Amino acid sequence: MGAVRLPFERALNADLRDAGLMPPELEVKTSDRIGQTFSAVSLGGLRTLVATFLNLRAFSFFTEQRWADVADTFDTIVDLAPRTRYYWDTGSWHQSYNAASYYLYESKLPGLRRKLGWRESILKGRDFLERGIRNNPEDPILRERLGFLLSDSNKIAAFGDVNKAYEASYDAYMSAVGIGNSRWLAKRFALYSLARVPGSEREALAMAKEVRAEQGRDTPTMLGLLYTLGYHEDPSQSVDKLIDSVFPSREVAYEVLGGLWMRTRDRYPVYGVARGIALLEAELKVPAERSVLKQELPRPMIPEDYFAPKK
Amino acid sequence: MLSHASRIGVIARHAFTQLVRMKVFYFLAFFAVILIGSNFFDLPQHEGPESAGINILRSIKSWSLGAMTLFSVVLSIVATALLLPKDVEDRTLYTILAKPVPRIDYLAGKLIGVLLLVFVSLALMDVLMTGILHLRTEMVLADQMAVAEARNWPAQDVALLKSDILAQGPTASLQGAVFSVFLRATIIASMAMLISTFSSSTLFTTIISFLIYFVGHFQADARAAYFTHEAGTGDGFWLRGVALLISLVLPDFQLFNVIDAVIEGQVLPLLILGKLTLIGLFYFVFYVIASWLVFARKEF
Repeated sequence: MGAVRLPFERALNADLRDAGLMPPELEVKTSDRIGQTFSAVSLGGLRTLVATFLNLRAFSFFTEQRWADVADTFDTIVDLAPRTRYYWDTGSWHQSYNAASYYLYESKLPGLRRKLGWRESILKGRDFLERGIRNNPEDPILRERLGFLLSDSNKIAAFGDVNKAYEASYDAYMSAVGIGNSRWLAKRFALYSLARVPGSEREALAMAKEVRAEQGRDTPTMLGLLYTLGYHEDPSQSVDKLIDSVFPSREVAYEVLGGLWMRTRDRYPVYGVARGIALLEAELKVPAERSVLKQELPRPMIPEDYFAPKK
Repeated sequence: MLSHASRIGVIARHAFTQLVRMKVFYFLAFFAVILIGSNFFDLPQHEGPESAGINILRSIKSWSLGAMTLFSVVLSIVATALLLPKDVEDRTLYTILAKPVPRIDYLAGKLIGVLLLVFVSLALMDVLMTGILHLRTEMVLADQMAVAEARNWPAQDVALLKSDILAQGPTASLQGAVFSVFLRATIIASMAMLISTFSSSTLFTTIISFLIYFVGHFQADARAAYFTHEAGTGDGFWLRGVALLISLVLPDFQLFNVIDAVIEGQVLPLLILGKLTLIGLFYFVFYVIASWLVFARKEF
């Protein structure tokens, strides 16, 4: 009997694994973490049920701000249910956003420890998302989340080289687009990341024109980028004509360029923006004391601002 | 052939009635409470407004299929383990066997009676789960569509969101998952029937069946160990021997863990379900014949 069915069961097992219907083997460390009872239950085909329970437990750890326990629990959850996007997304979000914010604003630890905790949490969140993508290569949303994290103005300093982070963010968004069922915003956000990589201005301008033609939505960021990247192409061109070619009106142009000038945290390129603002302020008769160019610019997110010892 | 079927039908109906009188359907009340509770209790979820409620759908499936699995396994083992000893105790068995009833008809009838009970119970639970899941999916869909409309999402994104939510609702794959729970129960009940033909007590049958059920989840690992380890002497030889024995004797219950993938929103192809059905049928026929071979020689 065994000899008859063994090849069939073996082939079916392989079919199930190929179709992604067979969960991977439970690692020994996972069994240790979830305990013997849960191991038995999860072996009995109830892994997702155990993951649901652990998700509730993780919520308690989250409310108690026990970040290491949150991370451990989500490690176990994704071992049990590796194909559920929600767990990868949530586990990463807890680390990159909640734990990182805790170390940034609430922790009573010394500055250096807080800085370390902040950075490690963000990197842990990134690593978790990347693992999620490796486990779910066909899921565009996880790639979008990674793209978003890597270009987040409040997190980007944790990744070391800012330009490389924007480049990686662009790659993540474009890989989501490449899968074929990504959301509308993926390509637009890919453009926003690419525009912030020095040396990619020409490529970004071409992409901006393509996205505008495809999607037809003129958001302030899109208009601002069309202006600044267009200016970068030829700094000697007439700013007046460039404004006319990009914006629907002078008032909109002033609002958008003023906003772009002040968004220092987002690190967008500002080629020709000061010239454009000066021209528009003169035309729109903006009083000199209210000039955008005279306002104090906010600083980009610099960890030292938060973690320096208080004087 | 027709008389065999008719006899099996009568015995199956009797076994079904006998089990219903044991009030096993009371379990359905617990199931309903669990299901309704998991739907209406506002369990803490870590999710933003863009995915609010979607995880609840997964939870409902997870609780429901979990309860179905536990119920079907316990019922299949305990009900089957009880049947033969009870018939001996009530002396019904002697009356039946004194008539021209082939022993294989008696065993098949009893087993089908148990399976009928498991099937009806699972069907009722499935109706309850599908109904609640459908209602909840509609609620989540309405909420999410309102959010998408308020944010002026493009049609492409709204369609993606909709298909994401619907994949977590009552799908054909979910019905396939419930059927695979039934198939697993079929194998366990058939196996328990074989054990009960030579076991000395109900308790023995129950314990051994549960043990085999759990060890059966390692069958795939044993098979992999047999095929991947080099043949040799010493520990390696014994390891391969034990692995081969487990692979040949025990059913591979892990194959039916496709329910986890379905809960996660995966599609269960019909071809895979067909292959699982074939395996279920194979075990059913094999265990019934093996039970008959043992039971036929038994003196009462």
